[in-house]
Amino acid sequence: MFKKEEGEIKEGETETIIGPSVKVEGDFHGEGSVVVEGQVSGTLRTNQNLRIGANAKIKADIQAANVLIAGEVRGNLQIKEKAELKSTAKVTGDITTKVISIETGAVLNGKCTSGNGIGEVKESPKPKIRNNRNNNLKKEEF
Amino acid sequence: MYFYLYDSFLNNKKYTSILAKIENRLIDLGINGKIEKLSVLKSAQEVVEDNIKSGADTIVAVGNEATFAKIVPLVAKQNGITLGFIPVVENAIAKFLGIPLGEKACDILSSRLIERIDLGKANDFYFFSELNIPESKDLTLECNGGHFRINSTNHSNIIQICNLTYTPLKREVGSRKFCDPRDGLLEAIFTPTTSFLGRSRLDLNKRSVFPIRKIKIKSSNSLSLIADGETVIKTPVLVQVAPKKLKLIVGKERKF
Repeated sequence: MFKKEEGEIKEGETETIIGPSVKVEGDFHGEGSVVVEGQVSGTLRTNQNLRIGANAKIKADIQAANVLIAGEVRGNLQIKEKAELKSTAKVTGDITTKVISIETGAVLNGKCTSGNGIGEVKESPKPKIRNNRNNNLKKEEF
Repeated sequence: MYFYLYDSFLNNKKYTSILAKIENRLIDLGINGKIEKLSVLKSAQEVVEDNIKSGADTIVAVGNEATFAKIVPLVAKQNGITLGFIPVVENAIAKFLGIPLGEKACDILSSRLIERIDLGKANDFYFFSELNIPESKDLTLECNGGHFRINSTNHSNIIQICNLTYTPLKREVGSRKFCDPRDGLLEAIFTPTTSFLGRSRLDLNKRSVFPIRKIKIKSSNSLSLIADGETVIKTPVLVQVAPKKLKLIVGKERKF
């Protein structure tokens, strides 16, 4: 998933880099891979890979295809494929992913849901149809 | 029809022979056209607009990188006009575009290899390369319609909005995917500076890069932004990408 060691950035692959000297606030939606070494608050979404560096501080709900966490995250994570927590990771929030890998020393305070199809089920809820059916049933009962 | 715009510094006698060689070569290649020399009394804008009205479809800037930066926004405002460049002195833009010096540049013009490239637009002003933003404590950048804001944490960043890059500062990261003038994006680049033995140095390993289409630059005190090292624009500024806005004659040796 992440071909280089932590801290290195592969040439030509990374599209957004949030470095240690900046703070991003709001609904951040990256179109390509995202590397976070600084601070983010709000929401953080990307349809590709997300790497959270050891010095990064994130207070945000996260959606990504794959994530590698070495820093601090406060918020819920919805990961389509794989979530990797390095030994320095501190996560406070729920993780939903297909595959999870947690190194010794990582801190996870929250609910973890993993397994095949987990990421996909969450993406296509159809609550309106269910509501209509329930409403129809209720009407028939009356 | 070709129109050649000579910069005012070319009035100096030391450039007479170079200009004569260029003009002869243009005649040989059959691409000669009207020539005008800029001066204190002649505004580049008026000259360009008048000649486009008279039927010029290719404007050629003859001079240095300042000449090129001066002509780009004027040509960008017109539709369907192609821009060429004949560098008379060594400069980074010519190298980036793959255009050799002097009369050799005429052959590049003649072969008419045209690239459509993006430009940045800051309020109503088009820029070719980059917009430099001075660091300030109350500076806020709102990206892509205000969905997220970027602030500096240490207030010692060099901030640039880049369309393309050819300056020595960025040559070191020139192999990167960002700052491609054909990708339909601009890049907001924050490069922190550190001081070492009293000297200020750029820390390229800790820079931040945000690909953006639109960015609003705001500050409570008025700040002066510099576009292409030439034009000053005051905040608030709305910067956006103008995709494929400029038709540019380039050489085969171009760096993009």
